[in-house]
This record gives sequence, structure tokens and C-alpha cells, in this order.
Amino acid sequence: MAERASSSSTYLLVPILLIAVLLGTAVIRGPNLVSLSGFGSAIIVAAPLILATYALMALAVAGRGTVDLAMGPLVAFINVSVVKLNMLGIISGPFGTFLVALGLGVLYQLAFALIVIWVRVQPIIVALSGFLALTGINLVILPRPGGMAPEFMSSWGLGTTIFSPVLLILVIATGGWLLFTLTPFYANLRMMGYDERAAWTSGVRINIVRVGAHVIAGLFAGLAALCYTALIASGDPSQGTNLTLTAVTALVLGGVSLAGGRGGVTGALLGALNLWLIGYVLATFNFGAIQAFVTQMSYGIILVLSLLLTLLVPVLSRHISFISPWSAFVVLGAVVAAIMLHVATADTYLAPESVPAAAQGPLLDRYFLTAPAGGAEPGLVLSPIQRMAFFAALAAVVLTFAARLTQAEAPARRMGLFLYLFVAALVLALFALIAMQGQVTLFSGGTP
Amino acid sequence: MTDIPPREPRAQLLPVPRSALLVWLNLAAALTVAAIGLGVGFAQGIKAQLVILYTVISVAVLLWLLNYVTTIFESRSAASAAPSDARGVWRANRVMIIAMVALLIVYLLVTASVPAFRSVTNLIAFLVLEAILLFAFKVSGRFATGRSAFIGIMVLVALVVISSFTIEGFLSGSNVKAILLFAAFLGIACIGQTLVALMGGLDLSIPFVIGSANVGMLFLTTLGVPSFVAFGFVLILGGLIGLLNGVLSYKLQGQALILTLGMGFAVAGLTQILTSIGSSFAGNVFGTVPSWLSNLAAMNGRTFGLAFPPTILIWIVLAVIVIIGLRYSAYGRYVYALGGNRRSARLVGVSEFRYWTLAYVLSGVFAALTGCLLLGWSGGGFIGVGDPFLFTTLAAVVIGGTSLLGGAGGYGFTVIGVLVLQVLTSFLLGIGLRYEWQQFIFGLLILPMVALYGRSPHIRATV
Repeated sequence: MAERASSSSTYLLVPILLIAVLLGTAVIRGPNLVSLSGFGSAIIVAAPLILATYALMALAVAGRGTVDLAMGPLVAFINVSVVKLNMLGIISGPFGTFLVALGLGVLYQLAFALIVIWVRVQPIIVALSGFLALTGINLVILPRPGGMAPEFMSSWGLGTTIFSPVLLILVIATGGWLLFTLTPFYANLRMMGYDERAAWTSGVRINIVRVGAHVIAGLFAGLAALCYTALIASGDPSQGTNLTLTAVTALVLGGVSLAGGRGGVTGALLGALNLWLIGYVLATFNFGAIQAFVTQMSYGIILVLSLLLTLLVPVLSRHISFISPWSAFVVLGAVVAAIMLHVATADTYLAPESVPAAAQGPLLDRYFLTAPAGGAEPGLVLSPIQRMAFFAALAAVVLTFAARLTQAEAPARRMGLFLYLFVAALVLALFALIAMQGQVTLFSGGTP
Repeated sequence: MTDIPPREPRAQLLPVPRSALLVWLNLAAALTVAAIGLGVGFAQGIKAQLVILYTVISVAVLLWLLNYVTTIFESRSAASAAPSDARGVWRANRVMIIAMVALLIVYLLVTASVPAFRSVTNLIAFLVLEAILLFAFKVSGRFATGRSAFIGIMVLVALVVISSFTIEGFLSGSNVKAILLFAAFLGIACIGQTLVALMGGLDLSIPFVIGSANVGMLFLTTLGVPSFVAFGFVLILGGLIGLLNGVLSYKLQGQALILTLGMGFAVAGLTQILTSIGSSFAGNVFGTVPSWLSNLAAMNGRTFGLAFPPTILIWIVLAVIVIIGLRYSAYGRYVYALGGNRRSARLVGVSEFRYWTLAYVLSGVFAALTGCLLLGWSGGGFIGVGDPFLFTTLAAVVIGGTSLLGGAGGYGFTVIGVLVLQVLTSFLLGIGLRYEWQQFIFGLLILPMVALYGRSPHIRATV
């Protein structure tokens, strides 16, 4: 039972592991993340990417190697259309704006689906065609970034609070997809993506299923464009290519199979968050003029590495079948939450020193000048509440892990379980020792 | 149908179709074209004698050509005579008829509503477009192979005809030179894309390698490395990137698109970091381009004393080598074998890994070469110089008719695709369209071109 549960979504292990590492690093490097406004702006900034990744995910699940490279230009197209209509004073109300955005997305994707079905051209060619056409028409509609977003959106992009309309959109989109997975239509969709011929021979009306997948992707694209408009509060025709590339990267990072049939909203969400976190972590380093290049290079390298990691997934699932993604999520989540808690409550950080304009030091000093959080003099001093939370989290981790192990190892009737428990106890002891000692710095070097 | 026994049509010097209707049709077509030519000729104020001479020549040539074509196809289609009632004709040709009528309606609407549109050149353009549709649907279906090449060449000819009527100085030496030069850049970059596409892969790292080679080459020469050494070094680096692409994408079957994109990102980022790590002008490299390189690719370059840049010659030589190599060498045949059916090729003993990787290596080398040549053309290093190539290489390959699924097509087709793209660009520039409109039209052009010949089978045919 455990095996079936883990083998179906083992691909999520990689993004989960990555997000834990990244989130931990992000919180340590930039403590500002753990605050109301930090989370709020994080949601606002990441929302377009997440929703665009959802749209790509819905298409990727439908199979035939459908990677809509035109997703970014499509989002930009809806963005500039909404802004242009608003500037002309034709449509500025919330209802009309939503209607236009979702309608344009659905219409485009509908055309895409019909071309793929009736003209029977490979989806990559339709995507290429759409990319060129939309990139061109975007610049015609709005030659340069500018314009004003509709009035009612003005408060969306502030990011001072977590509970913004953007979060609502995200929740509705995610929940909508999760509800959708309960329907038989979704089963047909996955089957078609996995093996189109088998689906066809078993009586699935694949044309309707394909159109359905594209309509869903169109809705997601419309929502992404709305969030994007709220984020930049204007129109920008030039960011389409970037959005496509990052969304495709996020898709792969989230473990969605581009061959079709595998993928879900969880993976896409994790992938998009990972990508955003990579940008965030890199932004906390001071690379100066080459910041953009470092970001670009890391996107590329991480994309390639995560592709290579998917090769390891079968091996992983064979050897560590007792770790389900869910338990991994709980364990790592507890660890990250502990880090966050520590960062948010411990008030002993050095203020990041302002960077001198012309730093004279050696290269590394110049680039890593921003002090990492947590390097304070007294080390790790835990308040009673912190200590309690820390140990509670630790206990939860160990408990989950042990329970999971017990369940997995029960049918095997081996003694290996004790070995694992012994190691777990050792780790626990180590943690306790460190916590008691009270003299530890998260980064030994860093600040001179 | 007459009772005369079928003759061998090719042996005739003056072919005449057997059906009288076709003879009259051909004559009418030739005379119509001649009349248009006559009108245009007088409208342009050319000497009357010349106009008459040209008209007579064009009628004769056109009539001969039409008759020649019709006799060939007449004998071929005699066996499969279609039902001649109206329903049958409609059913057999409905797509074509709908397309032609749609075009006619659009033309009439635009003509009626926009006074500036009413001109002879637009009428000619309209007629040529209709003729293309007719040819594309009726004639190209009779080719077993090379349909796409036929359509591509027709579009090319039509574009040249329309452009030379519409645009002042389109066929002037400098414009042709410019078209060929840009076609050469695109064409060299497309060599790798074609090879990779023939095996069912894709290489999206080409634009990034072009940009990196462009910046890297200038950076190396500025450092004081002898320019030839730098040139070779950049080519080798391009090959290494290709090797990495090839090995990794072979391991990750079916993910070549994403993988090469990621590699491209990494390469472009790394190059920029390396070239600008200490400088305050990030992303730009300043320096002087070696003179041999600027002569190689600049507009005023000279080849053995002739007034055209050697890049065009390089492209032609490369194209010939690649076309012949793909057709006759063992490597070329194996590429087709692997693209057509991987499993059977493997059973025959073709090393899939080696050929796949080699295709990507070549792609990297040619992308780097394009980057260096572009440096010679522009005279300054810029990482974004390759950006337009991200999709135009793909577009040229696809418009030419190489299937992205592999196994069908060739570099000759890509050359046609490249030329179509460049002539179209020049035409759109000439009639004053801005870059964004050009892109829009490119996008819309790719679909019908591919739809004419690149359709995959219906699913019921694959079960």
C-alpha cells in the first residue's frame, strides 16, 4: 500500500527537497521574508508565475508534448489588452476586466486546440506560430511599457498583507484544479496524456478532452495575466519571453512530465515557488552589475540539474520507498518552520550593512558583503517559547518519521527498523546537545 | 477523351494537351498574364517596342510552360479520373475553393473600403496569391516527395515577383546582397537545427551560443589572444557546448527542448559573468574587431576582389557540403535512418548515441560560427544578438519542410525556408511594416505552410 502511494508521486520528492533547502536559505539570508508584508509581496510577485505554470501544466498533462511556448506572450497579450481597453475607457470595471482576460485566454487556447485537432499540426509548431504572432501583436497594441491598470486593481499589488485578492485567485485556481481532479474528465485527461491511442480505443472522446484541457489552460492564463497586471500596475509587452522561459523551467522543476500524463497542481506550485525562491535567494547576494547574469545562469543550471534529477526518481523510489512525498513534506516543513520561527522571533540580528559604492576588498568580500542573518554575538539564544516550539517541531518530525518507518517496515519482518530508529535517536540527541549548548553560529565566517 | 493512343509527353518539343479545353484554358491564362504585363508596361512608361517584345516573349514562354506541365499531369491523372459532377468537384476541392473565395472576399472588401489599396500591383499580388493556392492544392499533391520544396519555391518566386513590382529597388544589387547576407547568417545557424530536427530533436540553445560566441570572441581578442586562435577556440567551445547538449539530451529522451533551453541560459549567463566580472559595463564588451573578420561579414566585404561579403560564399559552400553529405555519405543516410525509425536503425547496428551527439556538436559549432560572423558584421559584441534566432531557426526549418519529428526533409529544404523568410522580411520592410508586424505575419505564415504538408495522421490511422 505504501509502495503504491509513493510510486505515484515520488517525482514530488525532488521539488519538496529543493524547496526546503531554498526556503531555509532564503529565510536565513533575508529575514524580511518572514513578516506580513514579506509574505504578502511574495504572493503578489510569485502569483503570475504560479498561474502560468498551472496553465502549462494542464497542457502538459494532455500529452503530445504540448509545451505552449506562447504562454508568456499570451499573458502579456491579455495584460496589454486589458490595459489598453482601460486606457481607452471602454472596459474598466472588475466584471468586464475579468471577462475580457478570461475570454481572451480561453479563445486563444480554443483556437490552439482546434488547430491541433483539425489541422493535425504538431503542438510545438502551433506554439511557435502563436509565439511569433502574439509577440508581434503585443508590441502593436502597446509599443512600450506603460499605461494604467484598471482602477479597482490599484490596491491589489501593494503586498502589505497576506490576504489580498491575488491570494484569493491563487486559492481558487488551486482548489479548482484539485476539485477537477475528482471528476472522471480528469481521469480521461490523464489517460489521454499517458497514451492517446489507448484512450481513443477505449472510447474516450479525446477531441473533447483535449479542448477541455486547453480551456482550463486558457482560464489559468487569464488569471495569470490579471495577477501580472495587478503586480506591475501597467502594461508591459516585452516580458512575454521571460515569463515563458521561467514558467517552463518551473514546470520541469515541479516534476511535471512533458511527455504527458503526469503532473499536478502541487508539483507546478512547488516548481514555481522554487523558481521564485531561487531569484529571491540570489537577490540577497550582492553581485552588483552581474546580478541578472547570475540569475540567468542559475536558472539554466538548475533547470538542467532538475532534469537530470528526474532520471534518479526511479532509483530513488526503489530504495527509499518508505518515504512518501507527504511525509517528506511534513518533516522538511517542520524543519523549515522551525528555522522561520527562529528567524522571526529572535531579535538578535545584525542589520545588513549598507554596501559601500566602491568596495575595495577582494572579490568575494565584495559580493558576499551582505551579512547573513543569525551571525549575532551571543549565538543561538532560545527564548522559552522558541525552545518549546523547536522541540515540538523536532518531536513531530521524529514521530512522523518513525510512524512512517514502522508502517513501511512492518510487512518485511526485519530488524532494519531499529537501525533507523537508532540513527534517528542519535540525530535527536545531537540536536538537543546543540540547543543546550547555546553557543553556535549558523555561519562561522561571513562577517569579519 | 480522344482515341489517340497516349504518347510520351516528354519527348515532344512542343507539347499540346489532348483535351481541347485545357488548350484554351492555357491560352487564356497566358493571354491574361500578357495583358496585365502590357498594361503595367504602358503604365510605367516604358518604350512601346520593348513592352510589345516582352509581352510576346512572355506569352510564348508561359504558354509552352503551361502546356508542358499540363501534358505531364494529364497523362498521369488519366488513370484516376475523378467523378466530374458538381458534387464530386466540390467535395474534392472544398478546402481550396473556400480558401480562394475567402481570399477573394477579403481582397474585394479591402479594395472597396480603402481607396489607397486600389492599384495594379495589389491586383497582381492578389492574382499571384490565388495562383499559389491553386498550385499548392492541385499540383503539389502529385509530388510524392518534396511537396514542401515545391510550395516553398513557389512562394519564393511569388514573393520576389510581388516585391519587385511593389518596392522600388528591390532587385538592386545592394538589396539582393543584403538579403543574401542575412540569409547566410540564418542559414549557417540553421545547419545544426536541421541536423538535429532530422533526428527528432530540437536545439534551442543556438541563440544563446550565438550571443556567447559573439561576446566571447571579442573579449578574447581584446585580451590580446591572436584573433585566429580566438576564433578556433570559440568554435571548439561551441562544439563542447553542443557535446554536452547531445550527451545530456540523449540521456533525457524527449526532453531536448527544455534541456537545450536550460543549457542556453547557463551558457549565456556564464559567458556574461566571465566577460564582465571586473568591469562596470556589464553585458557589453568593447574592442576592435579584427579586420579579416569584418571583411568576412560586413556589407562592404570583398571576396577575391568581388564586391560581396565572403560569408555568402561560405554559406553556399557549407550548404553544398551539407546537402551532398546528407544525401550520399554514410553519416547522412544514418541520420535519416535514425530519424525515420530509431528502433530499426539500432537493430541494423547504427550507433544512435554517436550520431545524435554529433548532430548537436555540429549545431554548437555552427552556432558559434554564426556568432563570430555576426561580430564581424556588427563590429561590437552584444549578448542579445542571437535572440531573433531563437525562433527563426525553427521557423526556417519548419517552413522549409523538415519534419520536427525527424526522418523527413533535408538542408536543401531549409535553404528554401531561409530564403523565404529573408525575402519576406525584406518585402515587409520595403512596404514599411514595422518589426512587430513582421513577426506577427511570420507567426501566421508558419501554420498554413506546415498545414499544407506537415500534417500528422489521424489517430485512427495509427492504432
